[in-house]
Amino acid sequence: MTPSSDPLRDIARLAADLGPALVPAGHNELLRSITTAAKELFDAAACSMAVLDEQTDELVFHVASGEGSEGVEGMRVPLGQGVAGWVVTSGQPIAIEDVTNDPRFAVDVAESTGYVPRSILAMPLETERAVIGVIEVLDRRSERDRDMELLALFARQAALAIENSRVFTDLGRVLFASLERSADEDLADALRAVAEDAPPPGEDLADLAAQFHRLALLGDDERHAATRLVGEFIDYLDAKRRLR
Amino acid sequence: MKPAWSEQFDPDALARIEALNLEQPITKEWAWGNSTGAGVKVAIIDSGIEETHPAVRGISGAVAIEYDPHAETLARFIEGSHEDLFGHGTACAGIIRDLAPDCEIYSVRVLSERLTGKGIVFAAGLRWCIDNGMNVVNLSLSSGKRDYFDLFHELADEAYFHNVMLVSAVNNVPKPSYPSLYSSVFSVAAHERKDPFALDYNPSPPVEFGAPGIDVKVAWSGGSFCLATGNSFAAPHVTGLVTRILGKHRGLTPFEVKTILRAVADNVAQTKSGPA
Repeated sequence: MTPSSDPLRDIARLAADLGPALVPAGHNELLRSITTAAKELFDAAACSMAVLDEQTDELVFHVASGEGSEGVEGMRVPLGQGVAGWVVTSGQPIAIEDVTNDPRFAVDVAESTGYVPRSILAMPLETERAVIGVIEVLDRRSERDRDMELLALFARQAALAIENSRVFTDLGRVLFASLERSADEDLADALRAVAEDAPPPGEDLADLAAQFHRLALLGDDERHAATRLVGEFIDYLDAKRRLR
Repeated sequence: MKPAWSEQFDPDALARIEALNLEQPITKEWAWGNSTGAGVKVAIIDSGIEETHPAVRGISGAVAIEYDPHAETLARFIEGSHEDLFGHGTACAGIIRDLAPDCEIYSVRVLSERLTGKGIVFAAGLRWCIDNGMNVVNLSLSSGKRDYFDLFHELADEAYFHNVMLVSAVNNVPKPSYPSLYSSVFSVAAHERKDPFALDYNPSPPVEFGAPGIDVKVAWSGGSFCLATGNSFAAPHVTGLVTRILGKHRGLTPFEVKTILRAVADNVAQTKSGPA
C-alpha cells in the first residue's frame, strides 16, 4: 500500500485488504477437499462446486476434482440454463441418469459441467438465509440409497465455509460503518466520506456493532445484564422459530 | 437413491394406518376411476412448460412473472407462450398429463435467470393462481426466507378457503421452508415405487404423502426425456391424482381431498370396509 496524505483513506484500504487476508487459512483448500472427498466417497468421475455471483446472476465454478475439472474452474454460466440453474433457483436437489441416452438433453448438461456425463447429482448449497450455489457429482460408479442425503452433508459444510469467508471479505466495510456510528461528529463525517467509497455492507450489522461498542464503555454489571438480556432474547426468538 | 423424507415411506418404516371403517369404503375406483381430469384447471409454478413436447400435448394458458421494482405489486405479468428455461416445469407437466390427460394445464413461470425479487415473484405466482380460478397448483419449489413467512401463510390460507389445492414437494433439508411446511398444503416426498397411482400416507408431519419420484422417466426441454430422482417429481404425481379426483367430484375442499387420499393410500390396513 502506498501511503497517502489522508490516513483515514489508508486505514480504509488497509481494512479492505485485511478482511480477505483474514479469511481462515486454506479456505479454497477446504472447498477443494470437500469436492475431492465427495468424488472419492461416491466413486465418481468428477465433482464440482459453483457459487452464485449475485451481481451478474451467474454461477462461478470455484473448484472441481476429476474428469474435465481443468476446463471447469473459473467457468461462468448464466443462471438461466441447465440442471444447475434449476437447482439454485428452486432450492431443490435433483439426480438425472442416462443423460447420454438423449443427445438433446446431453447438450444442455454439458454446458454447465465441461463434459457429457452419464449421470448427474446436483444439490443446492444453502445457508439459513439463501441458496448460494450448487455442488454436482458426475458419473457415480456405484449408487446407494443414501447418496442424496450424504451429498446434502457435504453441501452444508461447503455452504458454511463459503459464508464464513464472506464475513471476512466484508470486514473492512462493516468496520468503518460501525466506527462512524460511534465516533464524534467531525470524525464521523470523515469516516462517512471514506465508507461511502465502498459498497454498503448489511446496515443492521453495522448498527449492532455500534451498540456493542457503547456496551463496552459501560461497567461490568451493566455488561453482564446486557449479555444476559441479549442471550435470552435470542433464546426466545429460537423458541418462537421452532414453534412455527 | 432416496431424497430426504423418503425414508418414511420405506416398506419397513411405513406406518400401517387403520381404515376409516365407513359403511361404504372409499376406493381408488370411486375416487378417480374413469376420470381424465377434464374441466380441472392445473397450474404448474415452475420454470415454464414446453407446450410442444410430446409428453405435454399442449397447454391451456401461460403467464411469466418477473420482478419489477416500479410496479405497484413489484411484479410484472406477461401472458402468452413462453419457453421452459430449465426443463423441470415440462417434466412436471408430462407427469400430470399422463395421469389426467384431459385437464387444463397452465404454466406459471416464476423461475428465471435472475434471482432478484425471487420470493416476491413466487408469491405473485400463487396470487395469480388464486385470482385466476386454478383448482390445483403444483409447487416443486419453496422459500426459506423468514421475511416471507407471513406473506406465504396468508396466501396458503386464502388458497385453502378458495378450494385451491396447493401440492408442494418437501424441501431437501429439515429447515423452515414455505409453503411446504404449512398444514393447509399437500406435502409430498418420493417413494421407490414405479406405478404412477401408487400412493402412501405418512401420519408423522411434516410430509404427508409419498408418490413415485425415484428414477422416473420424465420429459425435459428440447423434446427430450431423462431418468430423474427428486421430491420435485413426486409432487406432480399427487397433483395428477388430485386433478383426477376433482374431475370426478367437483367442488371438494382441500380437507375432503386429503381424506380421500388418506383413505385410498396403499399402506392403509386392508379391512372388509377398506379400499378394494
